[in-house]
Amino acid sequence: MKRMMNMNRFINIRRIWAVASKEWLEIVRDRLFFALSFIVPVVLMLLFGFGLSFDVENLPFAIIDRDNSALSRDYAFQYINSRYFDFKGYAFDQRDLDPLLTDNKLRMFIVIPEHFQKQLLNGRPVTVQTHIDGTYPFRANTAKGYVSAINHSFSMSLMTGHFSKRYGLRPDNVQTILQPVKLGVRYLYNQSLNSIWSVAPKLIMAILLISPPFLTALGVVREKESGSIYNIYASTVSRLEFLIGKLSPYVLISSINAVLLFVFARFLYGAPFKGDLLFFALATVLYVICTTGIGLVVSVFAKTQVAAMIVSAIVTVVPAALYSGVIIPIPSLSEYAQVAAHLLPAMYYTQIVLGSFLKGVGLAALWPDVLILGIYAVILFLAGYLLFTKRPRA
Amino acid sequence: MGCAAVVKESGRSPKAAVSVARISGFVKKYRQNVAVRNLDLEIHAGEIYGLIGPDGAGKSSLIKAMAGVLSFDQGTVNLFGTNIDSEKSAEIVKPRIGFMPQGLGLNLYPNLSVEENINFFASLRLVPADELARRKQKLLSVTRLDRFKDRPMKNLSGGMKQKLGLVCTLIHEPELIILDEPTTGVDPVSRRDFWSILTDLLREQGITALISTAYMDEATRFHRMSLMFEGEVMAKGEPDDILNLVPGTVVSLHADPQARAVSRLKEQFLQVESLGSTLRVFVENKLPNAAVQAVVAALDGIGIKDIQPAAPELEDVFVALLHQRHLTDDAPDCPQDSLSGPAALQPVTLKPESLNPDALESDIAIKAEALTKNFGDFCAVDKISFCVRQGEIFGLLGANGAGKTTAIKILNGILTPTSGYGQVAGVDMRCAGKDIKNRIGYMSQLFSLYQDLTVVENIRLYSGIYGLSRRETRERIAWVIHMAGLSGYEKKLAGRLPMGVGQRLALGCALVHRPRILFLDEPTSGVDPVGRRRFWDILFKLSREDGVTIMLTTHYMSESEHCDRLALMYAGRIVADASPLEMKEALKNDAGHLLSVLTGQPLVALKQLEKSGFDGVALFSKRIHLLSKDPGAAEKTIRSVLGRGRIDVVDIAERPLSMEDVFVYRVLELEKGEKGLEA
Repeated sequence: MKRMMNMNRFINIRRIWAVASKEWLEIVRDRLFFALSFIVPVVLMLLFGFGLSFDVENLPFAIIDRDNSALSRDYAFQYINSRYFDFKGYAFDQRDLDPLLTDNKLRMFIVIPEHFQKQLLNGRPVTVQTHIDGTYPFRANTAKGYVSAINHSFSMSLMTGHFSKRYGLRPDNVQTILQPVKLGVRYLYNQSLNSIWSVAPKLIMAILLISPPFLTALGVVREKESGSIYNIYASTVSRLEFLIGKLSPYVLISSINAVLLFVFARFLYGAPFKGDLLFFALATVLYVICTTGIGLVVSVFAKTQVAAMIVSAIVTVVPAALYSGVIIPIPSLSEYAQVAAHLLPAMYYTQIVLGSFLKGVGLAALWPDVLILGIYAVILFLAGYLLFTKRPRA
Repeated sequence: MGCAAVVKESGRSPKAAVSVARISGFVKKYRQNVAVRNLDLEIHAGEIYGLIGPDGAGKSSLIKAMAGVLSFDQGTVNLFGTNIDSEKSAEIVKPRIGFMPQGLGLNLYPNLSVEENINFFASLRLVPADELARRKQKLLSVTRLDRFKDRPMKNLSGGMKQKLGLVCTLIHEPELIILDEPTTGVDPVSRRDFWSILTDLLREQGITALISTAYMDEATRFHRMSLMFEGEVMAKGEPDDILNLVPGTVVSLHADPQARAVSRLKEQFLQVESLGSTLRVFVENKLPNAAVQAVVAALDGIGIKDIQPAAPELEDVFVALLHQRHLTDDAPDCPQDSLSGPAALQPVTLKPESLNPDALESDIAIKAEALTKNFGDFCAVDKISFCVRQGEIFGLLGANGAGKTTAIKILNGILTPTSGYGQVAGVDMRCAGKDIKNRIGYMSQLFSLYQDLTVVENIRLYSGIYGLSRRETRERIAWVIHMAGLSGYEKKLAGRLPMGVGQRLALGCALVHRPRILFLDEPTSGVDPVGRRRFWDILFKLSREDGVTIMLTTHYMSESEHCDRLALMYAGRIVADASPLEMKEALKNDAGHLLSVLTGQPLVALKQLEKSGFDGVALFSKRIHLLSKDPGAAEKTIRSVLGRGRIDVVDIAERPLSMEDVFVYRVLELEKGEKGLEA
């Protein structure tokens, strides 16, 4: 040990260890900080995991059946039996539904016109009115998709029955005639288009972008605010030793969090993991080092803990939500936003997360992203190192 | 006292002093603000060098620059022969320096135990394990912290935090230690303890020290010092040399009528203070007899009692130096004579007899009866009882954390007591309504001014809060401006005011609704001596001319002498409750007179005198203080004890007891009594 110390004047393991272990003790003994470190990321994962679902299911709806015939009831049952819709009941008049719509107790209602059965049996077209709450365009669009699909399949089966009866053909033959081009869709990587499969891994990205800078900036600025940073300034600890010692507990905490978040994504939300676990683990540590570096740079400029919190929230939450591909895929962003996304580290780790979880690809495919994260980490730490001074101006 | 020749003789060894630090032409600016201008300083090996001055004097800037943790703008800072002009050069000397920043225990880690804190500092400095164990054991036993080794730092008392800070600073055995206001806010007992530990350790290891303080009365602790004010050195040298810069005599007396005597004296003398019923006048350039004559002559036709000359203290000299350089913030039209301004407070003249001890029950303005306040397990205020009569200035004196602020907040109705009760103007504050709040004024610790409002806007805001009419508001603004000497500052933002002026504005705001009872929480902390004296002048007039009852808290021992009556608070309890004079008299009866001994070898003499059984033996730079009931006999004993040890006695003189002496003695008595009970 002693010889090792003499060997290198610039990096002294004992001093790094002193700073790191002190930091660790402070974090685990300070209840508030401990909660911020370990509980907040998990809570975020739970809140967003259950909250941020893009699936439209159990949409509450009602039916006004003005025909009240066997066929109209048959038509209505197509919706009532669907898992995408939650049937709230029949109504007689649209006016009865208005208050329910304004109270968000209904999102949609379908009006089956009079003579529905008669018209159809006579071979005349019928229009079914569908009213969908358009306040959330995304949801309305999806609902419309479901409605058309159900409507289409009802029409098809109606026609199939009609033609097979009339021409004495087998129903499946009729279907082939009626719909010569059939669409076969198979969703890659996420066969059932389960949105949580894609959201949960991206949440790991977002939480590991927000939490480490927040903790790091708070931890460093806390010392500045209390004045204990002068112990560092006044001592013989080198800048590099201090930064390594000070930041490594935060990298460790965030790595532990990464494991927790992985477990949640994999087992609570059931997201499949198809990639290389070792590669993913190493890439995640690199990403955490990178985001810890963001905290370091923030901490150099912030003088108070409040400022540190606000600044780190601004520089991480916005990119995590908008420029990372969580909600909107990067290629669908505007040109300007795409440039912003490419400048921020989140996007690259999103590729790594999705690649590892859903696509099952590894270093061979993702090395450019890993490389960019590495460059990021180097730049951030270099900036932090150069901006940090033991002999400040004020 | 005050013989420079003696000082030189008894100084350190005659060989040429080795310079440890040399600073010249030092300038430090923060943006446009100049914190220190053109300062020169030299510190010799083995000495305790002091930087004394009020807040904002530039002490911290200089100290940080010397510790290599702050860059500066001009001049040179040379430590151990290395010129500190970059981070790199600062690193060269850092192994030889120990630095303790300002703020009691703020640089320590609250969640780490005492031992973990020490270990951290030691590891930073690469102290080898066996060496660390040895030093730790020694320092912990010297500071008597060994029993609390495993206690988290956040659960230590103020005095213990300060000692732990010192241990952490000394753990790598630096050659120079730099301590920034180590004693601010610490109770006097811990303060004395701290100084004696520090001087012992420094002497033993030959460490040089640079220490800053805002307490003028700590000057005697230093070998040499610089007196600083607003970024400049007013004077430097040995404490006695600085005292000699403004020769003169302080005359104290009782006069009747006091107010007239004050205004008469102020016509002739720059420094006139009212300390309760005592007047204190600094007569420059006059020997004791001549000074007394000059005062008597000035007070022709006014009854004088107990007139006594004494040597001036550092604060007198400091204020005199500020006057010489016109550095006081006195506006030329400042009302020195009376408070009766354009729209004066209705004159409620207080009869002098209402101050006498047999006052009626109805004269009681504030009363606390077994007042207790617990915060969880912590007892902040422990069954305190006291009475304040109308028109009296009553002080709660104690260290940070003694429970002063809690007590004042209960009496204000801000906090509810856990048990006991507080009465203000005959109303129980537990169930006091709004009208009582209109009769009391409160100035909190942080001056509660709106920094982004101007002086007049602040006063107007407070008038609005108290529901004054527009006409009244106009009158009161004029009155506050006049009373507090704020003319010329009306349109300035409160945040830009000098500390002393801001403090007077806060006082004005607390008085805007003509309260009969005024609560002031640490009104003077951080304000320079001139500002403090001016503030006390105003308080004195409020109490004497307008009959306002004033209750305040302070941790400045010297300031407490202004109060008519004092309660000493320690750890939530009241240790003593009497007038300052009575307290000193009582101490004289219980413990004796204060003797100051000057010898050629103070350190050896100290040990010998301690052994021979004197009370309260303590080292103040080169002088030894001790208490004795019979000064005559004690002098003989001292001479014979020291004679046997072949130590020459230069001078033995009796000194007046200070409030600090009283406080320390009373607290130690209390602790001794408790230990006796436990045993």
